[in-house]
Amino acid sequence: MKTTKIAIIAGLVASMLAGTALAQDKTLNMIVIEGGDTTAMQAVADAYTAANPGVTINLQPYPFAQFFQVAELRLRSADAGIDLVYVDAPLLASYASRGFLSPIDASIDTSTLVPSALDAGKYDGTQFALPINNSAQVLYYNKALFEAAGITPPDGLTAGATATQAEVDDLAATKRWTWEQVADAAQKLTVKDGGRTTTYGFTVEQFGELYQLQPFGESLGTDVVAPDGYTASGYLDSEAWTKAATYWSDLYNAWGVSPKSLGYGEAAQLFGNGQLAMLAGGTWNLPGLIASGVDFGVAPYPYFEGGKVLTPTGSWYVGVNAASANQAEAFDFASFLTTSAEGTKVWFDSLQQLPTYQPLLEEISTAASYDAFPNDVFRLGVYDSLNTAKARPVTAAYGQLQDAFRTAFVDIANGVAVSDALASAVQKFEAAAARVAP
Amino acid sequence: MTRSRSPALLIAILLAPALVGLVVFRLYPIELAISDSFHNVLRGQQLFVGLDNYLALLTDSAFWNSLQVTLWFNLLINPIQIALALGLALLYVQQFKGVTFYRVLFLIPIGVSLPTAVIIWRIMLSQDGLVNGVIGMAGVPAQPWLTAESLALYSIIAIATWKGISYWMIFIIGGLQNISPEIYDAARIDGVKPWQRLVFITIPLLRPTLLFVLVADVSINFLLFAPIFMLTQGGPADSTNVLMYEAYKSGFVFGDMGRAMAIVVVVVAILLVIVGLQFKLLSGPKEAR
Repeated sequence: MKTTKIAIIAGLVASMLAGTALAQDKTLNMIVIEGGDTTAMQAVADAYTAANPGVTINLQPYPFAQFFQVAELRLRSADAGIDLVYVDAPLLASYASRGFLSPIDASIDTSTLVPSALDAGKYDGTQFALPINNSAQVLYYNKALFEAAGITPPDGLTAGATATQAEVDDLAATKRWTWEQVADAAQKLTVKDGGRTTTYGFTVEQFGELYQLQPFGESLGTDVVAPDGYTASGYLDSEAWTKAATYWSDLYNAWGVSPKSLGYGEAAQLFGNGQLAMLAGGTWNLPGLIASGVDFGVAPYPYFEGGKVLTPTGSWYVGVNAASANQAEAFDFASFLTTSAEGTKVWFDSLQQLPTYQPLLEEISTAASYDAFPNDVFRLGVYDSLNTAKARPVTAAYGQLQDAFRTAFVDIANGVAVSDALASAVQKFEAAAARVAP
Repeated sequence: MTRSRSPALLIAILLAPALVGLVVFRLYPIELAISDSFHNVLRGQQLFVGLDNYLALLTDSAFWNSLQVTLWFNLLINPIQIALALGLALLYVQQFKGVTFYRVLFLIPIGVSLPTAVIIWRIMLSQDGLVNGVIGMAGVPAQPWLTAESLALYSIIAIATWKGISYWMIFIIGGLQNISPEIYDAARIDGVKPWQRLVFITIPLLRPTLLFVLVADVSINFLLFAPIFMLTQGGPADSTNVLMYEAYKSGFVFGDMGRAMAIVVVVVAILLVIVGLQFKLLSGPKEAR
């Protein structure tokens, strides 16, 4: 009897001691996007915990389609169960204006980051999030399909060839295809067998998404929303956007060169299967497409003839949940992820997204290891991010804009009249944005 | 301990879990929804705005459009589902060769989960899918089942009906088996024809069952969300944008919980009125039995 009592007391004491030891160990919870992003973040987390043994990084992955809703709900309910959160650049204003994020710790040295990328993490002059990486869009083309159709592909970077930064700069500045050239080639590349299309000429990776299509209309001269960020009349329904949206409509309805209603990831799959001749998509598709075995080249993102060259940019940021109880540790990890040579390199190697960490960009531009394909594709990203990148609008009503835009462009691809769809998008966006406007 | 107190105590203990469940899972969310509908959370803090969210709906064309879609959808889908469920139930209770095969066939949709059914239908209704293949053999050109403004809502009705009617059929079979065979025997002796049996005996005696099915079916279809979320996201051109989807988008995509909850409260209020009317019109005079 006595021994059991002693054993129980000893056990209690031991567990209390263990409890105090555990209390010094911190677990940081971070919500991330399922898939490659999670793998890359795990690699960064592993590198971080190797140097900081007391901290555990617990990743909570969500599918892309649900990520925004989950982040919105958990941040809004001041859920202390998450410390770090992935922030899509345009949503920053919405999160910051509602007090979801802690202002970035002033002691973090951000001088090594690309200034424009850093600026997109600011709201009302205060830094609320740090850029994890940037994005670059390119035009992938299937060499065999071009050859079979007997047409000359765009100038681009291909396997077996090398290119210096100066050569890539020249390619991007002088040999960029226009959307008119893309449409022309796409019609010759599309193969129909009876009623079925067996090879599609062209499509974009992100069907109907503002991120990818914003340069379509803006390169023709009109922004997507007014400078106030809450109205779009005279912008999204302008002549420039009507022309861009008509082109988009023709791809599906008049020319039939693009597949309708593709889900997330399906466009890259089509290209990898050899059923798609041209794909406008991100550099992050490189590893997957190389693994698919398709012989492809990479050309600069096209523009409209007579228009200005603009390319999509901006990407994911990391922020610290204002409700988190582990502010200092969370900032330390965010700093490692975005501003350290080791963290940014681990992330880049794993995900192949254009960095915002300048020493790494410098390395891409100059190191001989980036001369050969496919590494030289990142030099195209370097050129575009310095010369042609146009950020998405900063507005607390970005979610509303994105939804109205997507709805309109999906409808247009499905055959709804361009003017009706754009008018309806303007009306819907303005009605929803008025509820958020200050 | 007195004898009179213990049954009351026992009843309280036995009911407690159900009552707690009722409060936590039913009453509290209702309270939360109503309270949220009087607030605006868009600008950070929870601001009390009174009836503003409701008043804003009055001039909100997106709301009116989705109300219209919701009502049209229900006007079509409920009679179709109940008529087909009744037809299948009548067929189910017949005795003929191969009936077991048909009975299994009728019950398959119940065994398939809604998301699975929706995904299978999405593939079948796609541009190069099975349905277009079949109509292609008959020389009909491929149809954009889920991507044309004129077709999408009807495709959703077809999918929801395929999934839903077997379930309602089971209730109706139960009702049919409750009708005493003696009534039919008596009718046969009186020379009543089969269609007269259906109209004057079966359907009147099924009325309590049909009323239950109607009320439950209307409630489910009024709140139908998953197929729309998975297939059309309210499009094309808002043709499938039912109120529940509009509420979801408002609350979870835009973070406008006040508007979302105002819509939900309106949906529930409309549903209560419809169900109330159905009870009044269809339950019939008690003395008649």
